[in-house]
Amino acid sequence: MKLVKKGAEADIYVTIWNGLDSILKIRKKKDYRVHSLDMRIRTLRTIREAKMISETKSFGITTPLVYFVDEKKCEIYLQLIKGKLVRDLPLNKIIKICTEIGKIVGTLHKNGIMHGDLTTSNFILSDQGLVILDFGLSQKTDKIDDYAIDLRLFKEVLNSAHAQIVEDAWVFFVLGYRKILGNMLTEKVLSHVSVIEKRGRYANVV
Amino acid sequence: MLSLGIESTAHTFSCAVVEKKGRQGKILSDVRKIYRPPEGEGIHPREASRHHAENSSQVLSECLKEAHVTISDLDVISYAAGPGLGPCLRIGAVVARSLSSYYDIPIYPVNHALGHIELGKMLTGAKDPLVLLVSGGHTMILAFLSKKWRVFGETLDITLGQLLDQIGRYSGFASPCGPRIEELALKSTEYVSLPYVVKGNDVSFSGLLSATKRVIPKGIESACFSLQETAFSMIGEATERALSFTGKKELLVVGGVAANRRLSSILSSICARHNCKFFAAPKEYAGDCGSQISWIGLLESSKKPGIDLKDTFVKQSWRLDTVEVLY
Repeated sequence: MKLVKKGAEADIYVTIWNGLDSILKIRKKKDYRVHSLDMRIRTLRTIREAKMISETKSFGITTPLVYFVDEKKCEIYLQLIKGKLVRDLPLNKIIKICTEIGKIVGTLHKNGIMHGDLTTSNFILSDQGLVILDFGLSQKTDKIDDYAIDLRLFKEVLNSAHAQIVEDAWVFFVLGYRKILGNMLTEKVLSHVSVIEKRGRYANVV
Repeated sequence: MLSLGIESTAHTFSCAVVEKKGRQGKILSDVRKIYRPPEGEGIHPREASRHHAENSSQVLSECLKEAHVTISDLDVISYAAGPGLGPCLRIGAVVARSLSSYYDIPIYPVNHALGHIELGKMLTGAKDPLVLLVSGGHTMILAFLSKKWRVFGETLDITLGQLLDQIGRYSGFASPCGPRIEELALKSTEYVSLPYVVKGNDVSFSGLLSATKRVIPKGIESACFSLQETAFSMIGEATERALSFTGKKELLVVGGVAANRRLSSILSSICARHNCKFFAAPKEYAGDCGSQISWIGLLESSKKPGIDLKDTFVKQSWRLDTVEVLY
């Protein structure tokens, strides 16, 4: 078992599961959190992630296969996906791939799921196309507000981590999103994004 | 180079003289007067600005005296132009303008949040940190990228300082309420389940505020303990996400709530896990003070001339991520 990443929430290992190359995601105990709170968060997110990863497959979105879940130890064995994180791609590639990201997010929302953690490091570009990861913060919801929170987070990530390309990348993202959700819903969600932005501290109130 | 900085964004009126030699700054004096509202009440903007106006001349003369300088020795005058309470901001701006025009000294409007960060960097020696700014006015996770401080995460509603203050005021404590809540929290280890809301790198405290109010009747100590644990774990997780995403090797925490020891211990344990250096602004300079403003004035003056008196503004809503940083 080899540690590949110490993430914020979980440690990621490469390992073998029943003869298959696999990723082991362990949500480790956090000493800084009160025990009962920590257990609640880790168990909830492990179960939710496993469920959602499987469920989104039925909409035709590519996610890793779930091999095995141990909710007591907060462990998930997932299919190993080979490829590159979108975050680490060259800038012009990131811009283009934002359309694909928009389509995936649109499909999720169309089916009543918010992802909750849409960052460029939660997408892998592999041989099988674009794969979306990390459903620990995802939720079933039919609220426009929740979809808008997803979009705002993605915009925030572009704005902070990819500041040089934020305008273009955002246009391409919305393009893909609109293709799936249609004009009316897209406009509704987008106008809600600006509502949320205005709620921000010291935002310019028009 | 000698600079006078004037801070008057909220409850603190402060003047400070800072000297800059090369990249290093030295605080020669930092005098503060803090407006104290009656117990159980928050800042009344008009009363606070009256307090600032009445104390401004005394604070200014004490600050100059302590630094052993006269006004004509100053090279730069800077004032906090926002974000903050309008009436309070205007007092600081008026003092700064008067001095600048009468003594003909270049004047610089300064973003208050930037002051927290840059003074924190100077005093701790952090080079390229992820910054957590936690105060009554801000709860933001920031990193510097191509000329601006970029927001990686922030609160979607109220700030951490507001959360603590509102719970404190609800219980009849004197503001700022953070220290009292910290003290009470130490007396309990009984955790009551409260809503924990992290959305990506962002946090939301409003539900936590209402829920905490509901558990106060069952015991203030356990309510304070549970409130701190929940809120700080949330901000800890958001920070950890941002650390892991940006791959920064330093974390700097600044702002009034940086003085909380429980928050520091959570953050330093996160840093240990990510092999990252942890810096916290020294307690006496974590909260609002003139040194922060004065230091930015010095940094700005190294890159551009002061602005015309007619352009000196105050801006209640002035987001940090809109400020271009040249130094």
